[in-house]
Amino acid sequence: MNIIYMDNNATTRVAPEVVEALMPFLTDDYFNPSSLYEPAHIPAEAITSARKTVARLLGNARPPEILFTSCATESNNTAVFGTITANPDRRHIITTGVEHPAIFSVGEDLQRRGIEVDFIPVDADGQIDRVEFVRALRSDTLMVSVMHANNETGVIFPVEELSRITKETDESIIFHTDATQTVGKLPIDLRGSFKHVDLLSFSGHKLHAPKGIGALYIRRGTRCRPFLLGGHQEDGRRAGTENVAFIVGLAKALEIAMDRHDEDEPQILAMRDRLESELVARIPYLEVNGKNSPRLSNTLNVACHFIEGEGILYQLSAQGICASSGSACTSGSLEPSHVLRAMHIPFSAIHGSVRFSLSRYNTEAEIDRVIEVFPGIVDSLRRLSPYWDAKNNQPRPEAMEMLTQTDMP
Amino acid sequence: MTWNYSKKTTELFMAAVSGQPGTHLGEIEDADGFGEHGSLACGDALRFTFRVDRHPSDPRQDRITEARYLTFGCTSAIAASEALCAIIEEGDFTPIGALQITNQDIVKYLDGLPQAKIHCSVMGAEALEAAVFNWAQKRGVDLAELGIDIRHDEQEEGRLVCTCFGLTEPYILRKIEELNLTSIPEITNAIKAGGACMSCHHTPGGLQDMLDQVNGARATSLKQLPVLPMARAPRAQPPAEMSPFKFAKRVEEVIETYVRPQLAKDAGDIEIIDIKDSKVYCTMKGACANCMGSQSTIKMLVEQALKDQIDQRIQVIEV
Repeated sequence: MNIIYMDNNATTRVAPEVVEALMPFLTDDYFNPSSLYEPAHIPAEAITSARKTVARLLGNARPPEILFTSCATESNNTAVFGTITANPDRRHIITTGVEHPAIFSVGEDLQRRGIEVDFIPVDADGQIDRVEFVRALRSDTLMVSVMHANNETGVIFPVEELSRITKETDESIIFHTDATQTVGKLPIDLRGSFKHVDLLSFSGHKLHAPKGIGALYIRRGTRCRPFLLGGHQEDGRRAGTENVAFIVGLAKALEIAMDRHDEDEPQILAMRDRLESELVARIPYLEVNGKNSPRLSNTLNVACHFIEGEGILYQLSAQGICASSGSACTSGSLEPSHVLRAMHIPFSAIHGSVRFSLSRYNTEAEIDRVIEVFPGIVDSLRRLSPYWDAKNNQPRPEAMEMLTQTDMP
Repeated sequence: MTWNYSKKTTELFMAAVSGQPGTHLGEIEDADGFGEHGSLACGDALRFTFRVDRHPSDPRQDRITEARYLTFGCTSAIAASEALCAIIEEGDFTPIGALQITNQDIVKYLDGLPQAKIHCSVMGAEALEAAVFNWAQKRGVDLAELGIDIRHDEQEEGRLVCTCFGLTEPYILRKIEELNLTSIPEITNAIKAGGACMSCHHTPGGLQDMLDQVNGARATSLKQLPVLPMARAPRAQPPAEMSPFKFAKRVEEVIETYVRPQLAKDAGDIEIIDIKDSKVYCTMKGACANCMGSQSTIKMLVEQALKDQIDQRIQVIEV
């Protein structure tokens, strides 16, 4: 069966050009870049060159400001814990209620360690409440961490504005953004519109590089201690032998993403918009999460009232279609996604969310296929649902009021 | 987390969603037994109904002839509902006899369930029990007289322990005993209690205390961590010797008398969001809201007016 892969916010296919670029460092050029003998110069040079490429593509950042890590989670942990240990005099952090767990759970952990953390709420469209944000800024605020775009809904936060407001309030507040979903997709100009951003995290496997490689941008002069100790690599800011092959792969993948951006982005957007409008037209009681906010052009998050997402995913999977869900049964916890809960999605829909996330490798024919099978899957589960009137294809009268209830009983 | 369902589970699920003959989707009208478990908010819910062949003189000898379900839930919840109906129809049970069916029978019928999905089988057994109690009421059978414990009130009456899933102390205690649960993860897997916010795990009277109550206490080193007092830097002084209240009043006054009339000329307006020390946070309204020049308007007009009228240290930030 042909696989239709529409889960690119989870991970992406490694681009063939990337594999080609990194292969030599898994075979002939395996030497440790820290070694002194001649052959080790090749991997060392490769890292230098990759660092230059990444720095250039993020808006002409300075190469030493780019730190290679193992993943975005490590970058995020380094950003937060590194900032806390370097600035012990301030004990207040501001973030949002919809961050990826690599920030959200860190925030919850910090609260247990006695650091004050404010999680700024979002509205029904997943957009941050700016007034709440401003009110949260304090004279002892150490750090602000706001993701650039949300992994589940694709909603884009105004990082340019929020970082400006932060810096105009207090120059010494450190501004971090988790740009894992946006690097290669949205323009990031660290000398321009992102000039107030001090720290920026991202990873390779969201942009067609392999898993196991990430990066952290640390603006020159930002007080941030290393997270991994025990070596002089990365100017002593991240110990551990460099993952040469994947560093090369990351730079290559970013280069391709930037090169092809103007060509790929309109195509992906057109496919997403068609998928969205067709599903909305064909399926009653279907919500598009975050529809009134600016969103990543590759992400579609829909919620089907009165059914559970896992049964949808299972049937999609049986058709070879890979997507994901924020439902409780797919999360490993028994709660539905904290992002959808923060948006106060009614609980008749919160368990029935499905996320399609596209890449340049998707085709119009694949979109056709999803449009063809998805309504039938929703229908098959609604026929089983005790809240659904299958005869009239609408919720049962007694379930109607649940369409607007958002608080857990 | 990939799917690790048994073949039987996925077969039953796919048969149910494709509406194959022999599956038990539906709801019996005027059913002899009607039972529900779970809720929409909790993420799974089962409505179970059955019909009996009524015995002419002794309702206790009624035979269940047909069982149906409607389920909102994941793959395994739907498969477990199918399994429950199949077990009942294959077994030729009396309603009282059907009470012998446990969640373990459902798990066995499905050739096993992943640990985290055990609660799907428990949901089946609970809905069956509720339906049998409903049948007994309709048929005038006194289950208590037969030595069967009717506890359909315990959900309403006990102390609420797991607020996320609305589960009470007597219910959880009974389930710990019935299902031989020995740890908090086991409780969560079986009946979901403690699976969401987790705040009931180690609080007094929480899940661990209830486990200890049933199974005997054990040594535990888990303690709540103390919340450290935070080191808060003293706030900077507000500008001049004005109190923050007077300062805010003055800012409003200046905005009202000098700024608003100016903005109104272009059909614009301004709102003060917050004032922190000498920083005034504003947002532009009306025609100004979408104006490309709003940032410079703020600096030139608003900030300058406030500086001239109140204090040179004032800084205006557009939100």
